[in-house]
Amino acid sequence: MNINQFDPPGTIDDLEGNAALAQAWSAELSGFFDGAVALLDAFFAENAGGTPQFYNPVTNGIVATDTLLPITWNGFPKRFKKHITTDYAGAEQKDPAVGQFREQDEYLEWFAVRDAHGKIKSVQFTCEGPDYWDFLARHNPAKAVELYRKYIDPGVDKADLFLASGGYNIVNKWNTASGAMHLSHPSNFLQAEVRLASDATVRRHDANGVEPPDSKSLIDCAKFGDPSRNSDPKIGFDVNGLARQGFMITLANPVGLYIASFKDDGLTLPDGTAASGCFNILRGKLPLGLRAEFRLPGAAEAKGLTVSDVSIGGKPIEFGGQLAELITMSLTGAACKAGSVNNPLQPCGAIGAEAIAHAVAVSTPSLGGKPELRSRRTGAKK
Amino acid sequence: VTSASKSGDAASSLLEPLLDVDEIQGNVLAGFRKDHQVLVALEIREVAAAQAWLASFVHEIANTREVMHFNDGFRALKARRGADPLGFHSVWINVAFSAEGLRKLTSDAEVEAIPDEAFRIGLLKRSALLRDPTDETAEGSPANWKVGGPGEVPDVLLIVAGDDTRLLGDTIDRISPSPDQGQPRIIWSEQGDTRSDMPGHEHFGFRDGLSQPGVRGLISQMPDRFLTQRRIDPLDARAAGFSSPGQPLIPPGHFVLGYPILGQDGELAPAPALAHDWFRDGSFLVFRRLRQEVKAFRKFLETEASRLRGVAGFGAMTAELLATMFVGRWPHGAPLMRTSEDDEAMGGNNWANNNFLFDQPSPAVPPSDGTAPDHFPPSPGDQFGRICPHAAHIRKVNPRDEDTEFGNLKQTLVRRILRRGIPFGKSLPDPALEGDNGERGLHFLCYQASIALQFESITRDWANETLTPKPGGHDPIIGQSGSAQLRARTLDLPGPSGEVETINIHTEWVIPTGGGYFFTPSLSAIRTRLCGIRS
Repeated sequence: MNINQFDPPGTIDDLEGNAALAQAWSAELSGFFDGAVALLDAFFAENAGGTPQFYNPVTNGIVATDTLLPITWNGFPKRFKKHITTDYAGAEQKDPAVGQFREQDEYLEWFAVRDAHGKIKSVQFTCEGPDYWDFLARHNPAKAVELYRKYIDPGVDKADLFLASGGYNIVNKWNTASGAMHLSHPSNFLQAEVRLASDATVRRHDANGVEPPDSKSLIDCAKFGDPSRNSDPKIGFDVNGLARQGFMITLANPVGLYIASFKDDGLTLPDGTAASGCFNILRGKLPLGLRAEFRLPGAAEAKGLTVSDVSIGGKPIEFGGQLAELITMSLTGAACKAGSVNNPLQPCGAIGAEAIAHAVAVSTPSLGGKPELRSRRTGAKK
Repeated sequence: VTSASKSGDAASSLLEPLLDVDEIQGNVLAGFRKDHQVLVALEIREVAAAQAWLASFVHEIANTREVMHFNDGFRALKARRGADPLGFHSVWINVAFSAEGLRKLTSDAEVEAIPDEAFRIGLLKRSALLRDPTDETAEGSPANWKVGGPGEVPDVLLIVAGDDTRLLGDTIDRISPSPDQGQPRIIWSEQGDTRSDMPGHEHFGFRDGLSQPGVRGLISQMPDRFLTQRRIDPLDARAAGFSSPGQPLIPPGHFVLGYPILGQDGELAPAPALAHDWFRDGSFLVFRRLRQEVKAFRKFLETEASRLRGVAGFGAMTAELLATMFVGRWPHGAPLMRTSEDDEAMGGNNWANNNFLFDQPSPAVPPSDGTAPDHFPPSPGDQFGRICPHAAHIRKVNPRDEDTEFGNLKQTLVRRILRRGIPFGKSLPDPALEGDNGERGLHFLCYQASIALQFESITRDWANETLTPKPGGHDPIIGQSGSAQLRARTLDLPGPSGEVETINIHTEWVIPTGGGYFFTPSLSAIRTRLCGIRS
């Protein structure tokens, strides 16, 4: 893949044709790629040597035919599932505090809007990276406020979104206690996606000299993510599978994490009719959905019905997570030049000094005593 | 006894627990494997009369020990003689109950305490979730089902199977409830038979029932009396996780309640708590009556293969190859991952026909009997689905070594089911006879510990979806598309040089025409809790 610049996630038109801003976003993302490749260079130099199989398609594009590899995972956090039971309440944190990120770490986060009686009026879903929103708020704060007002609440005030220092507050109240405008979990950053893909291109050997045969053993060895998630082990192992075939690998443009599909069958209203047309993509477009909402059509709402009156296969909806588990997420890897690289296997161990999530998270003083999120701009990026 | 040996015993009983083969009904773990099988769906009218009726034949309900020993004897005789042993017959009876049936025989509270919500709600209300047609004019809509439709959900499902139809018929006559005296009412009954022209094959012409999971556990106190025979050289690392290549060992708690399971991260975990003690040694049963529209299947294959021959890269396409790419196996059972032709020897070799992976190259695995590994070409890695399409039926419902949207192999293992299906209806000649009524298909039966996590997840998350477990389209055999897509299915068909051609399917050839969700209790549970017999 060889491109002039990266597009915004989902090729969304938030930058409104401003070429300079588009270039600035591309440069930001390009920096993530260059940083990730630099870490690979350093890792190879310190270990068994080799050539990075991950590349930046803007600064070091490769002119060759690409094979695209869509990688999919379930949007509901795996760690809230235990055998046949699911802790929907735990995953939803019914009353998230301002300044706290949501415990939803599959690159999909949601917020159930409830009425005074606790009934769900709508469920907001987002898979937009915090780093993109940080960029948007820094460069075009008016647009950020406009989008918040459109999708979260018309009463959003600009001051609500920014810290006293002037920086954008990722865990502002409209993105935590009162809504979900974009992802908030420290593992859900676009830079984390780039680092994960990059780190996973390194072929490994375990203590017995054997290449890890499955996703769990690979992530346990390479430590490029959280083994308790659906997403990280899956993305990592699929990418590593490309590396094993000697491909040069990057992420397809537009780089992002996407809502790819929603299982809408078997959803019924109390009278037994299908609750169809309730799930709608509001930003992006399937399979590159960025934001979605589940809400009953106006005619059903006019009858006093709410999302809580909808059943999935006979089970009433009590939590947004019951809908989140119907969502399939995806990103797409791009591979070219099969068989062109045959690196020696590398020993186990993380690439870079810090875990990915901490290396990329943005400073949020409002977190108080919570685990410190580090500044992306002052953090581990090399 | 030292504490070390005690803890060793505990670990060993967690890994290979002693199965109560006298309590677990015989079709669950052993499988009846009969040529003829009758399903009888019944409605309980009066509880006391139903209990008396059940009690009249409860001693005849087959357990695992009996069925297993019979199958072992039959197999040994057949292997030595080279043909089915004449006169070696049995008739087996198993019985299962829907949630409604259990409500009548126990209580609402006891049924509500069952954690498997799919079972409690029942197939009728879960049908739309499986993407069965909701349009009542469609044959597959529950409104038109032959069994299990609105107002006709069975309380009881009897499974009676035998080698000889006369003995089978006699047994059914003998145990059938009397039409009066308040005994249960037969609301539907149908016989399934293996195909006499193609034994072991389903009606589309493909060998069926291959690749069952390997259930862990011992059938006696003897340390090596495993339920599932171990066929891999114990010195090979794979022997710890597989009974034979392609047959992973899975804790029995995923098929029978009251036994260890794999925990969320794939670790061995103790048996989950039971809703009721009488649920121990029970198993959930899914029954689907699937009508197969063989004529439409054949016609589509011919037409589409003809079209594909005009597409660059697909010039060698035939109807048989296209069907094989839909299934993932050749008609005689050889996996597409290992051969580009219908290799009957490979298909008939029960080691070789299951010795393959999808994602990674398949290594040679040494058998435990000291013989050489099979001599057929190994399966190469196929990450892009260029050999076996990602949408192929066997790749969809059992992704083997591929990671899925839920995680690695362990998350696939917890979704496996024990299939016990048998065809119904007569074989359709090719070309078809005039006036054929199309009534043929499969009585699909499967056992599991969780209908939602196992049968429903395989169906909803994989067969019916285009992006999961790997992007590539719908399962063209059993997958169903939603009404929003006008029920049209698509899949990506790989060509020999990396080309991909999209196949659009606007016809449905597997049509749900009945079924239900049931619970198969232990023998003592039937006697003491359901019949009310004091032990």
